[in-house]
Amino acid sequence: MAEFSWDVRSPLDRALIAGSYGAQGDAGVALTEIRDFDLVQVMARRGKAAEMVKAAQARFGIAAPETPKAVDTADTALIWSGPDQFLVLSKGGKHTIEALAAAFVGSASLSDQSHARALISISGDKARAMLAKLSSIDLHPDKFRVGAAAATSMDHTSITLWRGKDRADGQPVFNLLVFATFAESLWHTILDSAAEYGVTITHSEKLA
Amino acid sequence: MRGDQANRLNNGGLIDRSAALNFRFDGKTFSGFKGDTLASALVANGVKLVGRSFKYHRPRGILTAGSEEPNALVELRSGARREPNTKATTAELYDGLEAASQNRWPSLNFDVMSINQLFAPIFVAGFYYKTFMWPAKFWEAIYEPAIRRAAGLGRAAGVSDPDHYDKAWAHCDVLIAGSGPAGLAAALAAGRSGARVVLCEEDFVLGGRLLADGGTIDGLPASEWIARTLAELSAMPDVRIMTRTTLFGVYDGGTYGAIERVNDHLPVPPEHQVRQRLWRIVAKRCVAAAGAIERPIVFAGNDTPGVMMASAMRSYINRYAATPATRIALFTNNEDGWRTAETAIASGLQVAAVIDARPDVSPAHRALASKSGFPVLHGAVASVDGGKGGARKISVSLTGGARAEVEADGLAVSGGWNPAVGLTSYHRGRPKWRDDIAAFVPDGAPPGMVAAGAANGAFGLGACLREGFEAGAAAARDAGCSGNVGSVPVADDEAFSLTPLWHVPGKGKAFVDQQHDVTASDVELAQREGFESVEHLKRYTTLGMATDQGKTSNVAGLAIMAAVSGKSVPETGTTIYRPPYVPVAIGAFAGHHRDENFHATRLTPSHHWAAEQGAIFVDTGLWKRAQWYPRAGEKDWLESVTREVKAVRSGVGFCDVSTLGKIDVHGPDAGAFLDRVYINAFSSLAVGKARYGLMLREDGIVYDDGTTSRLAEDHYFLTTTTAKAGLVMQHLEFCRQVLFPELDVQLTSVSDQWAQFSIAGPNTRDLLKEIVDPAEDLSNEGFPFMGAREVRLRGGLKARLFRISFSGEMAFEISVPARYGEAMARNLMVAGKPFGVTPYGTEALGVMRIEKGHVAGPELNGTTTAGDLGLGKMMSTKKDFIGRVMAGREALTAPNRQVVVGIKPTDKAHRLRSGAHIIPKGETPGPGNDQGYVTSVCFSPVLDQWIGLGLVERGRERIGEIVRAHDPLRGEDYDVELCNSVFYDPDGGRQRG
Amino acid sequence: MRIVCPFCGERELGEFTYLGDAKPQRPAADAGEDAVYDYVYLRDNVAGPMSEHWYHGGGCRAWLKVTRNTLTHEISAVEPAAGAGAAKVGA
Repeated sequence: MAEFSWDVRSPLDRALIAGSYGAQGDAGVALTEIRDFDLVQVMARRGKAAEMVKAAQARFGIAAPETPKAVDTADTALIWSGPDQFLVLSKGGKHTIEALAAAFVGSASLSDQSHARALISISGDKARAMLAKLSSIDLHPDKFRVGAAAATSMDHTSITLWRGKDRADGQPVFNLLVFATFAESLWHTILDSAAEYGVTITHSEKLA
Repeated sequence: MRGDQANRLNNGGLIDRSAALNFRFDGKTFSGFKGDTLASALVANGVKLVGRSFKYHRPRGILTAGSEEPNALVELRSGARREPNTKATTAELYDGLEAASQNRWPSLNFDVMSINQLFAPIFVAGFYYKTFMWPAKFWEAIYEPAIRRAAGLGRAAGVSDPDHYDKAWAHCDVLIAGSGPAGLAAALAAGRSGARVVLCEEDFVLGGRLLADGGTIDGLPASEWIARTLAELSAMPDVRIMTRTTLFGVYDGGTYGAIERVNDHLPVPPEHQVRQRLWRIVAKRCVAAAGAIERPIVFAGNDTPGVMMASAMRSYINRYAATPATRIALFTNNEDGWRTAETAIASGLQVAAVIDARPDVSPAHRALASKSGFPVLHGAVASVDGGKGGARKISVSLTGGARAEVEADGLAVSGGWNPAVGLTSYHRGRPKWRDDIAAFVPDGAPPGMVAAGAANGAFGLGACLREGFEAGAAAARDAGCSGNVGSVPVADDEAFSLTPLWHVPGKGKAFVDQQHDVTASDVELAQREGFESVEHLKRYTTLGMATDQGKTSNVAGLAIMAAVSGKSVPETGTTIYRPPYVPVAIGAFAGHHRDENFHATRLTPSHHWAAEQGAIFVDTGLWKRAQWYPRAGEKDWLESVTREVKAVRSGVGFCDVSTLGKIDVHGPDAGAFLDRVYINAFSSLAVGKARYGLMLREDGIVYDDGTTSRLAEDHYFLTTTTAKAGLVMQHLEFCRQVLFPELDVQLTSVSDQWAQFSIAGPNTRDLLKEIVDPAEDLSNEGFPFMGAREVRLRGGLKARLFRISFSGEMAFEISVPARYGEAMARNLMVAGKPFGVTPYGTEALGVMRIEKGHVAGPELNGTTTAGDLGLGKMMSTKKDFIGRVMAGREALTAPNRQVVVGIKPTDKAHRLRSGAHIIPKGETPGPGNDQGYVTSVCFSPVLDQWIGLGLVERGRERIGEIVRAHDPLRGEDYDVELCNSVFYDPDGGRQRG
Repeated sequence: MRIVCPFCGERELGEFTYLGDAKPQRPAADAGEDAVYDYVYLRDNVAGPMSEHWYHGGGCRAWLKVTRNTLTHEISAVEPAAGAGAAKVGA
């Protein structure tokens, strides 16, 4: 019997080097990778949007988003990802696809995306300036408010972007889900874009 | 050459005299000040000769003080950063700047090619078309290289650009191009109303013509008004002021292109910073306040160094405190030109004469002339004498026919002003003619844009402020911003009073387009030869086709054409205006996307493990895939690949196949949906089984293939080829949303969710038993060929297992959630050690699929039908599916179609090459006898020879026939045998065992 | 060019993929070869407003029917394909 183990490795495992990057001095951009989450795509079946919304209310205690936004509970975010669909992002093990299956039976189709995406959190007073190099959408504080979400693209790669609650120091926080096989490439592009502002890099094992 | 900054005035100018900067031009060291351009610093140092012209190598000086400059082009910087054709008039001076003149050899003062001037009669319009006609074979070998050496402008660096560029998006309510009086007033009004404003200014300071011409605004000197305005705008959080930024293009839907020269004013960009940034600006409204460009009058010798636009002369004197000449003559046809005489006198320079083409001069100017003691000559400049040392003598044709001569070392010329109509005309807009200013002005603009100020033909300062302010306020209002805009800045309007004059006939070359050396007689010749349309005039003479795009020459050129063809200027019309307004470096358009960042890269879940193993990677679309895993001592790729194939066929190997597209197909109608997109049935597939499926395009040609498994009644797991993954997803969404909206089906890409490995070879089951929980039945009965189900692995992890084979061996594909992909590769290596497990790459995968006769990309090439691939029997006759009807067309079912067949050289030692054409024995190679071609080849370790697949006419009926592989590309022609495409284990016993 | 996605809002051209004329309707299974031939190959060469299929693949993955003036690129209407957002329509 061979000895082996099932080590989990984030797609950013090699690329993420905690510490500072780019210009010295006060870093304008903070980058964090969040690991250990469950992510499930919920897509309403034909004509079942209302039932799906009801099922989500029952399961999460909040209304699922029907327009591009993200809504939070203490340990879960429901993020709009397209018409009649949203993503359930939760701390690992909280809302697994198995756990959600019963809640949405008959009203929605579920697809596990927990391993399909990497979750990057971008904050700091230069976060918007940096994101303006990557994102074609308008992230002005009045146009992309806390809780706003977008299914969009960066570097020709589909991403899901939403604005989290501001940091304690008032700086904005942008969360970004990127497809896992693109994650390392986008990470390097983010670093290149942020280098002139100075970057602080950390990683977190759990959702904030 | 005079001493250090000898032509610098002691006072005045917007230069920082406390910050002296040293620079080199053509190897000589000079000094200037912060706030100078290279051109103003050269003027301050008395340098008049700055380049040689394009065709005749004539000595040229500085004509303008802005981005319209045709002459003063230099190579800036050196080595890898050398940038040719840089306008000295916009290049900001920095300490250590190095520049060199262009288009001269061996030196600017002594240029061998200036001999071209002696041959000038042959360098006329259409010269290249007329001269280098014969013999044709001389063109590439002799004419073109010689022409390229003699003509042309600067030299490219020839090596990779060491600097970085990036691109960014900006969004605003009101975008303003230009920060002259109109632009600043527009920004004030829009900003005060609460609009988000982006103001782009190509200069490094705000103010536009105010910087040179001053004036009084709201009772303040212009400089104070600018400072006050800037302070007010800077305090507005949603107003963004971008200097060194040229708005160069207008695109659909309110999208604009701008180039920001972030660090061009430094020798080297600071660490981590870019040199230039390309902006895509999305604006609800745009105010085009890009000003106007003063236009020359065409006369003999008008390209002599020392001849300068009148407004440029004011810029050098007032803005830079640098005097282009000591004794200045002015040639004008309008009131505005007189400002240069006023400026010269105010700065203590001599005015030799004013030559005014109009019959009358204002009393104030007549008084100025008599007070300052210079003559006012009514007439026109006939010619300028002087060479590379600059202008010396000006010959004047007086009204009434007499002649006069004026001695001067500088001639300021003003033929009036042309509004900068580029931005407003970029959507095929045609400007309209206004007689009162004898100029084209915008006639409408792209949606959302309005022109204001001089760009709209309003030349008075008061009018510029009013138009700008009103345009800014209206733009903000249209964008939904309704704040109080306050009051409009007030200034007087000066008289303009122009009498049109384009060209003064005379002896000697009179240049219209100085950058391309197009003369007035070239324009006249073009008319005589029938190239009368302005678009023809442009191409035939190359007028306006240089890097300056004819900013100072186009209108004069078409006015001369109008005159010789007996039409009015508006009847003659303008050419089409196209972006970019100024040249933009390709590096800026590329931005981050160069070298290793040329495109985004996808990595498989086991990528880093494979890299540790020393894998050689190949770019497959966006992916990096392990191509083979070389071992020490292997002499080439073929040896490695052959070893990998043998290891799989005799033992066991594994390959990361995560690049396949993977799609979850959910919903009660999932089976019905798949029935419509595949040619074969999937609703009948049992849960727990996989099936190979083929998709057609609606025109009957094969689109993609792959295996699809049924994991539950309402859940299929569909795979696509690597190449078509994204396109198939798009196609399926089209089918779901557009073609079959009545079906209840949901699609999700799970390509990145699963790490998928193919495990193949006779020892596969032994290896899997080490990985999979012992409770799982992997026997032929418990997990038969084409079985598909979820299994539990040792350690409790859930995985999906599919008994499918691409190699022809006993094989499984196993999927684990992607973050376990690397662990899976490592565990397969550990668990497989006793069985000689070997990782294999895409090359070995390809060899085994060819040996097995499986079709792939080279056969699914957009021309083949299911029948061509030998898969015609898969087409269901019991259901409709995409492509069904068109696949039945006569030509697509013709018996003589080229179909997939095996091919092997009769000489076992001969290497087969893909692309070789199949020609019958004894026939002459050629289109008439071309019966197909070789699509895929490999060296088969099983057969110990090169084999391949091909598409050959009636191929399957001709098994055993010897034909020729004709390969003109490689100069080969050899005999091959057509054979069964399944070279290996044709009964399939191995994969089912 | 910018397209207002009915689900996502205004987005830049790069997020969309063009397919072509949205007018031809896929014929019924028994419509015969001529009808399918017309559907696959016959297109009007419209100079002016044209209904086109666009895919918001760089965003919400909805297929859209976009009315675009082929002479000016002006977009006068955007609506979702019948099956985009179909969870809200009747079963």
